[in-house]
Amino acid sequence: MGDMWSRFDRSIAKFDPIGRHVRKPIERAIPNLRFKGFLRQWTDVLLDEDGIDGFRDQDFRFLQLQNLLEIEMGYHVAAGLDINVVSHFLYDGVYDWQDSDGLFADSIDRTAEIYHDRERILREAYISYRAPRFDLKLGKQQIAWGKMDGQFIDVVSAMDRRESVQLETEDFEWRRLPTWMANATFHFGQNSLQLLYLFDFEHDRQALPGSPWASPLSPPPSAITDIVLKPKRPRSGDFDDHEYGLRFDRSQGALTYGFVYFYAWDKNPVEHVVGTVISGGRTLLRLRPEHERLHHFGITADYATTFSGIPYVNVLPTVFRVEALYTNGVRFADFGKRAAARAGANLDGTSKRDTLRAAVATEFGLPARSTLIFQGSLFYTFDWESTLGAGFGGGIGDEWTVIPVAFFSRPFAFTRDRLSMELTVLPVVSGPSANWQGMKTKLRLKYKFSQYVTGQFIYNGYDSGSATDLYGQFEQWDNFGWELSYEF
Amino acid sequence: MSSEFEPARMHYCRHRAIKRGIVIVLCLSAVAAAGAEEIWKTVAQMSAEDKALFDPATSTARDAEYPYMPAERYPFEPPYTAEEMGYRSAEFPHISRWPGTILDVFGAITSSGYINQGETIFYAKPAGTGLETYLYGTKPGDVYTSWMAYHTFPPESEGAQQLWVPYRTDKEFQTKMDLFVYSPQLRRVRRQPEPRRDQRFADNAQTFDDVLGRDAWEFAWELLGTDVLYETIRFPNTRPTIRLNRGDKGFVERNTASVKSMGDDFPHYLPDGGVACWVVKATAKDDWLPGYSEKTLILWLEKHTFYPLRQEKYDSDGALMTIEVRLAEHQLPELGTFGYTALSTVYWNIPNDLISYSFHDAHSAHDWSEQEKAMIFTAEFMRRDWLYKPLKSQILIEDPDEYFMRPHLFPGKFPGARNVSIPADLEARVRAQNEAGHLIFESGGTATSIAGE
Repeated sequence: MGDMWSRFDRSIAKFDPIGRHVRKPIERAIPNLRFKGFLRQWTDVLLDEDGIDGFRDQDFRFLQLQNLLEIEMGYHVAAGLDINVVSHFLYDGVYDWQDSDGLFADSIDRTAEIYHDRERILREAYISYRAPRFDLKLGKQQIAWGKMDGQFIDVVSAMDRRESVQLETEDFEWRRLPTWMANATFHFGQNSLQLLYLFDFEHDRQALPGSPWASPLSPPPSAITDIVLKPKRPRSGDFDDHEYGLRFDRSQGALTYGFVYFYAWDKNPVEHVVGTVISGGRTLLRLRPEHERLHHFGITADYATTFSGIPYVNVLPTVFRVEALYTNGVRFADFGKRAAARAGANLDGTSKRDTLRAAVATEFGLPARSTLIFQGSLFYTFDWESTLGAGFGGGIGDEWTVIPVAFFSRPFAFTRDRLSMELTVLPVVSGPSANWQGMKTKLRLKYKFSQYVTGQFIYNGYDSGSATDLYGQFEQWDNFGWELSYEF
Repeated sequence: MSSEFEPARMHYCRHRAIKRGIVIVLCLSAVAAAGAEEIWKTVAQMSAEDKALFDPATSTARDAEYPYMPAERYPFEPPYTAEEMGYRSAEFPHISRWPGTILDVFGAITSSGYINQGETIFYAKPAGTGLETYLYGTKPGDVYTSWMAYHTFPPESEGAQQLWVPYRTDKEFQTKMDLFVYSPQLRRVRRQPEPRRDQRFADNAQTFDDVLGRDAWEFAWELLGTDVLYETIRFPNTRPTIRLNRGDKGFVERNTASVKSMGDDFPHYLPDGGVACWVVKATAKDDWLPGYSEKTLILWLEKHTFYPLRQEKYDSDGALMTIEVRLAEHQLPELGTFGYTALSTVYWNIPNDLISYSFHDAHSAHDWSEQEKAMIFTAEFMRRDWLYKPLKSQILIEDPDEYFMRPHLFPGKFPGARNVSIPADLEARVRAQNEAGHLIFESGGTATSIAGE
């Protein structure tokens, strides 16, 4: 008996070199120290190399060749008092390991290729103090609010969006940009009240020009004729620039609900017209990107029940979730006003609107350990006008956008559940202008090699929609990839 | 039985991919096999002493408030009906019915040697101690316990948490549990749909009901007879010792051959070391559990405590799905015969030849203070990333070769009620493990489709 696959299974069952030779000796030598981490390799490959697409020269195949080492250490100082540090070491080989003129983001910001500065390497560093009714975390940390897939009330931490439309909820942990803050939570009965004071500001990082996921709609810096000044960002040293958050949660049997308020800065600046310049007979705008103060009001709730007497499945365990964020005072670029400014009007080329983003989800527990989720997401801009550009929380290039997401997952018993699949379909509809904006399809196959090593194969397809639509612009970005992860 | 193997005509009928007809039934223990025919007794063959303890009535007076329960108050007086034996056995679900802490070390192994293990620290806060409180102190729709679970292994799961808040149910109120999950990767507490009761967990042979326990009123009970068990969980000869965390005593090395199925202080071992058992059959009632895939259970209940040392699960076609065996320990002597709990449990899922184990290391009773009750057993507590009472274990299996063996099949016992036929390839693997004294691995093997698979 016994064959190669069995020998492989038994051999890899014991594969834990860092756990055995690094983690255990360290934790044995320093009992109060917790040491853990992972080594992960992601590779995404375009199905086709399509050459010129919009403003992009798609002369590359690899969308990412990322290698990430995370080291997490926690030192238990005294009862309730701990120090935690998380470090990230990332290298993306897409700029070095393929010959491409279309990829040059590493020359704009080296962080696109490698984490080389303290800000990125020292990812989290905070002191935590816990008492029965009170928690305090002081230092650099990330905050995740909400329960939904996607970002609805999850507004506190900025995000590295280098993967653009391919950024997924499960990647938020590695892509959030932690910031320095004081984070206190009071616990009383089934209630909790969290207070945040952020004295440092992190802005979102979008896909840089010349990065794999830079939009083909974005002209390269050399093609922009207006004068874009250095962004004006909130400053840590200015008390008036600090941010404040509040979150209340309550569990009441089958129902859980919560409210959030966040007095924050828009994490993406909007260009304000601050002047004009006549050059070569043309009027050029002087544009200064500025962040806008926002008031975020959010709710979240979920409710569980089990339906009985359902055909085929008899009982149907079900969870309903709802989440919504109303944002007051979102600044939009207003291209109508910008044109007027170019013509001489004293306007800054922006408009303020309120926005709403919300989602309702239903999750079913099906036979064969399968899960089915339907989640309808709405993004809405109040008093929308066709001259408005993009703004936080609003419709995507439109007054409203609806994304009815369907998600299905199940393991396969014939592999003893080592192999599982997940299928996600995200069609985007908006109005009144764009209507259909394309569809994203994601298929993930995950395989457990051992209790330490997992592998994934992932396909992402972007179909239909026009070249200016959310997914339509990435129609030539269909890709497959794999992820290998070793945790220790 | 005198021969090592007995041909069987029964086919393993649930899976279309399994060829019919060529099935051989094993006898897995020389000890058990040698005397099986003399040891197990049908009701008619039972001793006069046993018959005196058994009430054959199938229809008894009903409780005024809960007509699905017997009128006689738990824990009942002898003689016992089969139904009352079923109630008594429900005293001992997977997790004890008293407040405490457990480091649950668990795992599963496939026939190829793929092993997947975990360590989870459980804090249990039942509304009251014992089944009696559950039966008479809670009403359908009431929460009867809370379990907070903190995962410490494997590294991928470290820091993940779950809060289980089970409800007492009846025909009208069928939500079994509120389930909250905290993922450190998502940094979110999410309410999840409760697991389907008769469905094994992913990568495991254990079902939700195996953990939660089953309400006796959802089943029709029948006494099949008596038997003697000499071995439940089978340690391999590759693991001569284990190191248990015994709380105040610290880590204690035990010879696996010396581990007894009802613990060291059990006073009713037979002179030859056996444990006398009632053997009862429980059939899921269609009006209570429509479509329940684990249609029939056969349980070996230790005679004095009604502790379930062995359980077999059959699907609606009578095919054997799972064998569960346990090691018990008398952890709370002040509760008398109710103070037993599972030290370890092994589940063998036959259709997938998947062997799971759960070892309750560092298990101790703990009276939670009011402050602790209010603090720990809430969904929001999980966001605090607080391992409130760390526990350590050295039970994890380092090498697939040291994994628990498949339980005995006992093919000769109660042939009218039990069909323990297994596919030929699985039978070969069982024969190989018995000859070697430990698991023998190979790729492929059985994977049949049963309800919920």
